[in-house]
Amino acid sequence: MNEQNPVPPQIPPRIPPVATPSGVLQLGDDPAERAPIPNVVAAIDAILRHPRRVMFQLRQPDAGKLIAMMLFVSVVCSLIYGVVAGTFSGGDQLWAAPVKIAAGLMISALICLPSLYIFTCLSGSQARLVEVCGLLAGLLMLMTILLIGFAPVAWIFSQSTESLPWMGTLHLVFWFIATIFGLRFLEVGFSHSNARSHAGFHTWVIIFLLVAVQMTTALRPILGTADTFLPQEKQFFVSHWGDCLKATDKELKSKVRE
Amino acid sequence: MRTQSEKLNPHEISTLLRGELSSIAGWLERWHTGRFVLHLAVIILGAGLYGAAMGWWRDPQQALFTAIKFPLIILLTTIGNSLINAMLAPQLGLNIPFRQSFSAILMSFTVTAAILGAFSPVMAFMIWNAPPISPETVQGATYNLIKLANVAVIAFAGTTGNARLFQLLARLGGSRTVALRVLVAWLAVNLFLGSQLSWILRPFIGAPNLPVEFFRDAALHGNFYENVFLSVQQIFND
Repeated sequence: MNEQNPVPPQIPPRIPPVATPSGVLQLGDDPAERAPIPNVVAAIDAILRHPRRVMFQLRQPDAGKLIAMMLFVSVVCSLIYGVVAGTFSGGDQLWAAPVKIAAGLMISALICLPSLYIFTCLSGSQARLVEVCGLLAGLLMLMTILLIGFAPVAWIFSQSTESLPWMGTLHLVFWFIATIFGLRFLEVGFSHSNARSHAGFHTWVIIFLLVAVQMTTALRPILGTADTFLPQEKQFFVSHWGDCLKATDKELKSKVRE
Repeated sequence: MRTQSEKLNPHEISTLLRGELSSIAGWLERWHTGRFVLHLAVIILGAGLYGAAMGWWRDPQQALFTAIKFPLIILLTTIGNSLINAMLAPQLGLNIPFRQSFSAILMSFTVTAAILGAFSPVMAFMIWNAPPISPETVQGATYNLIKLANVAVIAFAGTTGNARLFQLLARLGGSRTVALRVLVAWLAVNLFLGSQLSWILRPFIGAPNLPVEFFRDAALHGNFYENVFLSVQQIFND
């Protein structure tokens, strides 16, 4: 053995992440971000704790598998949350609510995907369509996982109140909180694609929120009951919510009189 | 690092109360079933004793019911919100696993329950000195004094528990801003669910003109926030 040439260590020394002149780390600068995401559990863990790892993996050639996993998790989580929402009315709503929530979410995403891609391109972003699809799938997954976190609270309220507008508002609040975190993930991903401006992204956020809220009206009833699976009458969500609030006001006035 | 087989010292509760962060942060690094059971026991005993003192005024049976209900609210809130609390922490900048967020919240409730337990003899003495509960007493100053004393003790215990939790979060996250953000989010969801659970599990003191019971008949009718809204409406209608 040559004592002057010791065996090199098997593990390469860890290279500290390098910050760009602007101070922002590039995706993949941290070696932990380059670790592949092999399964659904790893995908859930990554989106909650290391979202940059998901963003980095979405830029790799085999991102399709990760996107499929994220969509699968989104569908499963929205179905579970749907069952919880369905317990408010019970009966047919136990299967109708999960179907409507999962379908509504996926259809909303599909409707908004083209506009997201267009706004991304107009903003000067270098993101490919598959990366945009992946970021949108990430938004859906994070949002639905957070909804699962709210599910026990939603279930307790479902069992202890009979007020439909109250439960509707509660679910909307939970959805809104989950969506904020999901949109934050999307915006961080967007900011790593060399976009010149975020104005297009912010416009798209408004479109997405409006589409998703309208979807709750288009697929009604999700919480209450009806004779038909889908509504017979077309309505915008503003007028639908106006009707619901008027009904609540009447209900409250009658309770106060009692 | 401590191991599972390591002996548990019941005096660790005083370490928790003193807020010795180096020890407490070390406890979070590894799951210790014995410590979990100890914290659970303090919550059941501390909150249970305080609940018993509170319910004793109405009836010994009410004391038993409230002794069960008080720790139940704490434990159901911790379990019910464990998922969302664990998910919110990394989203708000504190990257800790589920086990750590659950243990941290349980520890803050342990501090709260220990304080409540310590105040239970004082509350029991106060109740012992109060005239028997009746429709007249409920209208008078004694009832208001007991109500205010309860609010003061519970507020003090809750604030101290959360102050300890804030210190722990600041140490884990290395930033007071992140700790404050996480604490506010956790407080919001815990208060939201805790209020509703308290509403479902009412009564705690017990009304003199109503029978002693574990649940009211209308326990699952309506919710806490609806009732608050209704009361506000009533004020304006009057």
